[in-house]
Amino acid sequence: MSGRGAVRFQDIVKLHGDFAALKGVNFDIAPGEFFALLGPSGSGKSTTLRILAGLDAPTGGRVFIDGKDVTSVDARDRDIAMVFQSYALYPHMTVGENIAFPLEMSNLPKAKIEPAVREAARKVKIDHLLDRKPGQLSGGQQQRCALARAIVRQARLFLLDEPLSNLDAKLRLETRAELKKLQRSLGITAVYVTHDQEEAMTLADRMAVFMAGEIQQVGTPAEVFALPNSIDIAGFIGNPPMNLVPARYIDGNVVISGHALKTSTQAAGERDVIAGIRPSALRVVPDGLKAKVDLVEDLGDTAVLDLDCEGTLMRVRVNHEDVPREGDMISITARPQDIHLFDPVTRKRL
Amino acid sequence: MNAKRIRFLALLAISLVFLLAWAFPVVWSVLNSFKTDRDALAYPPKLFFSPTLDAYRDVLFGSGSILPNLISSMVISVGTTVVTMLMAVPAAYALARLRFRAKKFAGFYVLATQMLPPVGIIIPYFLVLRNIGWIDTYQGIILIYLSFSLPFAIWLLVSYFEDIPFEMEEAAYLDGASRLRTLWRIIIPQVRGGIAVTVVFVFLNAWNEFLFAVVLSGNTVRPVTVAMFNFVSVEQTLWAKLAAVSVLAMLPVVVLGVVAQKHIVKGLTVGAVKGGGRR
Repeated sequence: MSGRGAVRFQDIVKLHGDFAALKGVNFDIAPGEFFALLGPSGSGKSTTLRILAGLDAPTGGRVFIDGKDVTSVDARDRDIAMVFQSYALYPHMTVGENIAFPLEMSNLPKAKIEPAVREAARKVKIDHLLDRKPGQLSGGQQQRCALARAIVRQARLFLLDEPLSNLDAKLRLETRAELKKLQRSLGITAVYVTHDQEEAMTLADRMAVFMAGEIQQVGTPAEVFALPNSIDIAGFIGNPPMNLVPARYIDGNVVISGHALKTSTQAAGERDVIAGIRPSALRVVPDGLKAKVDLVEDLGDTAVLDLDCEGTLMRVRVNHEDVPREGDMISITARPQDIHLFDPVTRKRL
Repeated sequence: MNAKRIRFLALLAISLVFLLAWAFPVVWSVLNSFKTDRDALAYPPKLFFSPTLDAYRDVLFGSGSILPNLISSMVISVGTTVVTMLMAVPAAYALARLRFRAKKFAGFYVLATQMLPPVGIIIPYFLVLRNIGWIDTYQGIILIYLSFSLPFAIWLLVSYFEDIPFEMEEAAYLDGASRLRTLWRIIIPQVRGGIAVTVVFVFLNAWNEFLFAVVLSGNTVRPVTVAMFNFVSVEQTLWAKLAAVSVLAMLPVVVLGVVAQKHIVKGLTVGAVKGGGRR
């Protein structure tokens, strides 16, 4: 089944009047990949998904699926299944009829529809609910029904638009894990829209991070986390977010609030930078950058400290046993490879 | 007696007044339809009398039978309803869904036709129908009825269509359904209630219509609302027969009302709540 569902977006532009929802988007998705479109709301990720589905037409650029230009192909001829944020279940049909609908539309004989519906329902564990109406299901069951309707047809592309956002926290975690397993076992290409970076990090093989109608970075979750290529991504990925503080770069060192930290760069010279250090990369040491503990957020196994470094807010994640008290003076440091440098003007990685 | 009880009794009294005002003509018609002409004219009116079906027998099977008129009314009403719904459902869907330039204007126009006083347009209608030879024909009357039932039906249906989320249709497209199939399989089943309400209203409006019917009908096609006046003449009014025809004319309305009651109440409240916040 793999080998189907390769996607290429080429210079896709979408204008709504004067507003550019997408300003030239390019990416490739390999067959069988779980690809996340991640970004804050209004960043263009849902528009991208809708253009891929054929529900919206791009103003410019081309969309290819499996090497074929589908830019002007109708949504229903693209062989794409989609799970909507609202699930969009047909309320007047039973669960079974909902799942059977795409097969009916493809004129599959009745004798083949029945077993296919049962099999799809079994995969998402709702085969005992086939005679219910969607209104009689819980949110989680409705979500599974929407999933079953999407997988029953074995379309070449599987699109998911924030499918977990209407579930409660516990169910969201469970479903997340099952979704990943389901996609693996089916071997289908999945494109997943979310604003939740944790969801994207855990589910995706690769992801594209959207900001203001542009893709800022494409890569595996680990790559994007380790080497964010702009200030915006650095601040968006990771929880708590990366500390981003104005600093001065001088000959391989970065000076924050008067204290120099070694960086992994050797270049000579002097300039203003934004230094980015993840809260988990900062460590409490006897001698380093001096800071006052403003606030302690105890998370059980770890704690997050809000530090005041001479007027600059820094956050540090520490182990439970080395939690200082509020008001204490401590000093912190980071390893050179954990310090990211960004240009304050272009906001790009240096 | 506490305040709550006084309030209750006051409400009861007011309700009774309204009920009496509403029920009086109905009760009067029903009672008189079972009287002889002599009893009907008795003064003071007789509440107790020996009921008879003479009036019904006369108006149904007598020389001036209104059976053809009841059939005329039925043909006109059913015809108007069917044609209206066939056109109003797609039109309302289009107004609710599709984006086209004249949408706003079209929406206003649909309502504007409802604002004209019927008397003002009845003469032109008469002249047009006469010129194309459609006076006293079913197609003529149905055509004119469409001029008010269609905008009304469209206006009523649009709000039901607007309540269906867009994603529902997009899901159907991605599932491989054409627009027409989506409309038929996904959208229309969800607006069943609204369609039922609209059918009832359109049918009743056509069934009860009098003004256009009296001008545009003739001896061939004469609905019961017009035919009723056969029993009113310069010399005398045949009250018992008039009452019997009234009761017969009311029957379909009552039956339809009872059958569709659930839908109407539900449909009306939905329309009321959603209609308020629309646009």
